[in-house]
Amino acid sequence: MATLARTGRSLNSVAGFVLRTTVPRLSAIALLHKTQDRRICNSALKICTLNISKPFTFSQLRWYAGKAPLTLETVQKRVELVLKLYDKINPEKLSLDSHFMNDLGLDSLDQVEIIMAIEDEFGFEIPDADSERLMRPRDIVQYIADKEDVFE
Amino acid sequence: MSYLQTNTLSHARKVRTLYKQSIRTLQSHYECFDRYEFRYQAVLMRARFDEHKDEKDLRKAKKLLLDGQRELFLKSHPQPIKFTEAPGGVAYQRTSPPPDWLLDVWHPLEKAQYPEYFAQREIRKKEYIERWEKDFGKPDSEISH
Repeated sequence: MATLARTGRSLNSVAGFVLRTTVPRLSAIALLHKTQDRRICNSALKICTLNISKPFTFSQLRWYAGKAPLTLETVQKRVELVLKLYDKINPEKLSLDSHFMNDLGLDSLDQVEIIMAIEDEFGFEIPDADSERLMRPRDIVQYIADKEDVFE
Repeated sequence: MSYLQTNTLSHARKVRTLYKQSIRTLQSHYECFDRYEFRYQAVLMRARFDEHKDEKDLRKAKKLLLDGQRELFLKSHPQPIKFTEAPGGVAYQRTSPPPDWLLDVWHPLEKAQYPEYFAQREIRKKEYIERWEKDFGKPDSEISH
């Protein structure tokens, strides 16, 4: 049971890994072929069916289990995206200062679901005592900025 | 999922915690096999909570909460999903941030390499002391360290 769970969990990361590793490799192969034979290179690109305008400018970035650097703007965009994708929120009504319960008409369990989605998005746990206070998107952005040491 | 309880919790807060924990437990059980199955089970769980949304009788509400907590305990996952930095996660307390006072014991020559920062730091210290005295009053000189 536990091993099954682990393999299932690793599937996600495997998919990401394959995407990350094979794409640069394919482009590298294409580069090799380009030096040998231009026709093969073209066919390799067709096989790839990747519509990349500059296929040879790939550089592999490694974060070593770190996260991509955050700014206040990106935090805000990601929070807004998470909220807009939530089916009980009307994206047209949503603004940074709209209250989840008073303005958007959600109930407390919906707010718990939102906080869980935010947790999954940013990859850290928000304790219940803190999540009670997060009633507006601006509060959430500020909380994440405080926790992740984002100042600008 | 607060792990250190320092105050009494309201019934609504307990229900919210129970809901969150039950969804996370469902996630541990189902998501690794099938995300859609997990979402289906989560919707069913939400329906179970919504069924008793307007329960007025406190005794019944309390019994429902206790039953829910018991069911959560009985169906808990042996290897629940944890966030890495959260309690129980793989990286919990792996690194500890150095304490703030460490900067105060730097040698003046070291401090001189960052003049702007340490000037700002002195201002912030004064502000902190002012705020503290505003909240708690002046410290008694006899028992102060």
